[in-house]
Amino acid sequence: MGLLAPLALLGLLFVPAILAMYLLRLRRKETIVASTLLWQGLVADVEANAPWQRLRRSLLLLVQLLLAVLLVFLAARPVVERPAGLARDLVLVVDVSASMAATDVRPNRLAAAKEAAIAALAELPAGGTVSVIAAGRTARIVANATTDLGRVRAAIAGLEPAPVRGDLGDALRLAAALAARSGDAEILVATDAAGPVPDVRLDVPVRVLPVGRGRDNQAIAALAVRSTPSGVGRSLFVSVVNTDLEAAERRLVVSAEGIPIEARDVFLDPQTRTEIVVDDLPEGIGSVEVALLGRDGDAGRPADDLALDDRAWAVVPPVRLRRILLVSEGDPYLETALSYLPGTELYGIRPADYGPATHPELFDLVIFESTLPATLPSRPILAIAPPRSSPLGEVVGTLSEPGIGRLDPGEPLLRYVDLSTVHIAEAKRLVLPDWARVVVPGPEGAPLLYAGSRLGLPTAVLAFEPRRSDLPLQVAFPILVANLAGELMGGGEPPSEPLSPGDPVELTIPEGATGLRIERPDGSVHELVPGTPEARTVTYAATELLGVYTVRPIAAGSSAASPTPTTGPSPTPTAGGSPGTGGSSPSPVPADPTAPGRFAVDLLDVGESTIAPGSPASLEALGRRTGGAGTAPDRPPARDEIWPWLALLALLGLLVEWIVYERDGLARLRRSVASRLERVTAGPAVRGGAAADRSGTSGGGHR
Amino acid sequence: MAEHRPVAEHRQPPIESGAPASSTGSTPPTPATGRRPVFLPNELDPTVFDEAFLRQLERLLLLMKAPVRGGLKGGRRSTKRGQSVEFADYRDYALGDDLRQLDWNILARLERLFIKLYIEEEDVTVHLLLDASASMAAGRPAKLLFAKRAAAALGYIALASEDRVVVSALAGRTSRRMPGLRGSGRVFRLLANLSAIEATPGPTDLLTATRHALAGLTGRGIVILCSDLFDPAADRVIRDLAATGAEIIVLHVLAPDELEPDLSGDLRLVDAETGNGVDVTIDLPVLDGYRQRLAAWRDGLAAVAARRRVSYVPLASDLPIAELVFAELRRRRILG
Repeated sequence: MGLLAPLALLGLLFVPAILAMYLLRLRRKETIVASTLLWQGLVADVEANAPWQRLRRSLLLLVQLLLAVLLVFLAARPVVERPAGLARDLVLVVDVSASMAATDVRPNRLAAAKEAAIAALAELPAGGTVSVIAAGRTARIVANATTDLGRVRAAIAGLEPAPVRGDLGDALRLAAALAARSGDAEILVATDAAGPVPDVRLDVPVRVLPVGRGRDNQAIAALAVRSTPSGVGRSLFVSVVNTDLEAAERRLVVSAEGIPIEARDVFLDPQTRTEIVVDDLPEGIGSVEVALLGRDGDAGRPADDLALDDRAWAVVPPVRLRRILLVSEGDPYLETALSYLPGTELYGIRPADYGPATHPELFDLVIFESTLPATLPSRPILAIAPPRSSPLGEVVGTLSEPGIGRLDPGEPLLRYVDLSTVHIAEAKRLVLPDWARVVVPGPEGAPLLYAGSRLGLPTAVLAFEPRRSDLPLQVAFPILVANLAGELMGGGEPPSEPLSPGDPVELTIPEGATGLRIERPDGSVHELVPGTPEARTVTYAATELLGVYTVRPIAAGSSAASPTPTTGPSPTPTAGGSPGTGGSSPSPVPADPTAPGRFAVDLLDVGESTIAPGSPASLEALGRRTGGAGTAPDRPPARDEIWPWLALLALLGLLVEWIVYERDGLARLRRSVASRLERVTAGPAVRGGAAADRSGTSGGGHR
Repeated sequence: MAEHRPVAEHRQPPIESGAPASSTGSTPPTPATGRRPVFLPNELDPTVFDEAFLRQLERLLLLMKAPVRGGLKGGRRSTKRGQSVEFADYRDYALGDDLRQLDWNILARLERLFIKLYIEEEDVTVHLLLDASASMAAGRPAKLLFAKRAAAALGYIALASEDRVVVSALAGRTSRRMPGLRGSGRVFRLLANLSAIEATPGPTDLLTATRHALAGLTGRGIVILCSDLFDPAADRVIRDLAATGAEIIVLHVLAPDELEPDLSGDLRLVDAETGNGVDVTIDLPVLDGYRQRLAAWRDGLAAVAARRRVSYVPLASDLPIAELVFAELRRRRILG
């Protein structure tokens, strides 16, 4: 037992002050009475039993003295000391990663961790400092070396689970750096220890406050929307993982724009991953949501311990009209095949008219048939029978009636393409460049078709003109053309990869817009305005919520006019497969300032979905071993202040003091209530005698 | 045995001459409404005796438990046989008897001589002893005021009964005796005398003062002491009064705030007579103790009075006089 503020004991001077006030009270008020005859006897009685009676009379004084002593003691802040269980400088690491949202302990693991952390603070020695680190995606210091435990508790209480992959190693390194400032430090980690043990070595003792006990979790581990290679349809790829040790049955519900479009019951073996493909997504949808519900499909009740990973979102890239520029003297077969491609617009131009004014950069694919310009455009290129050597490939001669070599059955470009009956009259002899792979091998190692990524641009080279073969007469031709176009144009938009929570995303401000308005999954809206007017991109980092974010440009007061193409020889759109070239130039890709963009933020992290608690010992092994009892000899003891009890006592004393002070009034009140009750209960029967009673009272009651 | 006589019809005309004309006959001496200032003598304290009070003073007669032997012929039954209209008994004629008292009818029928005896009616002296000590001025309403009014009521009743009324004020160690009054016509004199009585400052020895008053007592009669009896020797006062052999009535008057003190806190209680102070912290237990002591004190006095056939009447000074005379004293068979 000790006192934190012994100077407050000076308040005991109030005790003689109170006594003095009682002495002053002896100057009594004089009241004249007819005779003191009866009072004298009474006072004599009081004095006859002086000690006990005086004590009784001074009950108020006693209570007040007691109260004064109690309050002084309270002000002196008495403490009970005991050996401290923690180091003097404590670094508290609280895991706030997604797995801490698991509800196997109620209400969730983070709440249990916070409770354990706050409870552990009681073991802190007197004057000990506490730093609090939230271990989320990155380590974040929420309280730095403070002795104010109230602030520490508030900081701990303010932690919220983040749907992110936690980086405990980062947090531990930061904690070690904080602890290194002190001679007597300790790291206390409140975590479920789920996930891999971080690869760090710490020169500080580490203790773990383990939370969590369940492992029942099934999660969506991956989600993607892909176009088929020809770019005709879209499929949804979902990967569901069961991290539990028992098999589980769940229902997978796919919704597009909030409308369920697919529901499948999936049986998940323990510790396995199951891939689910949903083909033929409806057209015109912007995003899909995949929900992993319980077997009965009840969305209101969590089917496993972690609900965070039971939903995922994917953005379906918009179907964009793609443009193909055919530079050719005219090939009706090719033009026909290309014109049947869905979602494409075919433009044709003669090689002689091809030049910079053609603006090949406006096209998604440029096809050169039997011609090559001096400067290759920086666009995906399909070269057909290149007349000369170029970066697309070296032409070393001509092949006459080349046979087709052995085909790779896994080649995506040859999917559904049967070339077994194709005969080629003449082909260019090409040398396979190092950036390409052979798709259709020819004789003597000379490829008839190869494809690859040249300078980051999808490029394919066909060694023969289709019309110089019977390929256009076969079913394989349009399929091959579609596959080639799909491959070279990326099979549609590249799948937009979902962001991880907290990842910053760079958003482009379209022309004519002054900023971006971002609608978050919870309905809130953020508006982004670039720091400088000329900046065309902004970075958005508030992506901590899971779901689909919609980005809308903020249109300027007057919408800017769409840039028009420059004049000059321009390709013309070919109408409905009719061969022909020449015509007007395509307008650039329209930049609609009001067209919304979207991006999705998903957890999709098997590591966080694996919620089985890890071994605290393995985490503790990362730190320095503590020797012996673990208490440094010069470590101050922990102190428990007992003021709440004293305050309670003081309040009680105050109540007693009031009762003693008002005891006469209270007794009078009690008597009057009792007499009133008596009168009420006695009823009118007794009321008859009231008059006689009154006269008796006035006469003194002696007859 | 005393005989109860109806009082209301027993209004006697004033005997003494010089009485105001308005007080003759059956009309009470009470002035008519609105003319009181004309009839009220100047020496009468209007705060003590107002018109409403005077109107109450005419009905009652003091009852005596036993016939007394008095002096002058009056309206009260005497132990003597004498001249009156009320037949008492017969006795044999003896030589020298007044032949006017011979019962001629008996003589005619029985031929024997009988003398009719009549009840003699005499007056008695009603001594009103008023405690005029300083303590009587205390209390609210003041006990002395109550005592004066009670004395006036009783005195008037006595005057109306053709009794002699003597008022003595007890103060200090002596008593101040007023001249005796007789006849209902002297009621204003009586009231004036009572009005003149004021509380005397300083200590009062009630026993000595009472003895002083009793020394001047002539003949047997009725002695009415009206006092708060705040004297250590109060019981001896009652004993001394009883020793006179007169009919003793003790009206023990206490103010309501003495019966139920409205005091609290740390006080120094100062005696109104002696000036001595008593320090006392008054709370509920102390008040309870006071009440117990008060009750015991009064019980003791009542016991002393009962042993000596003294009528002890404990009263509160807020008791209306009408209630005192019409109810309280009647109930105790002091008035009839």
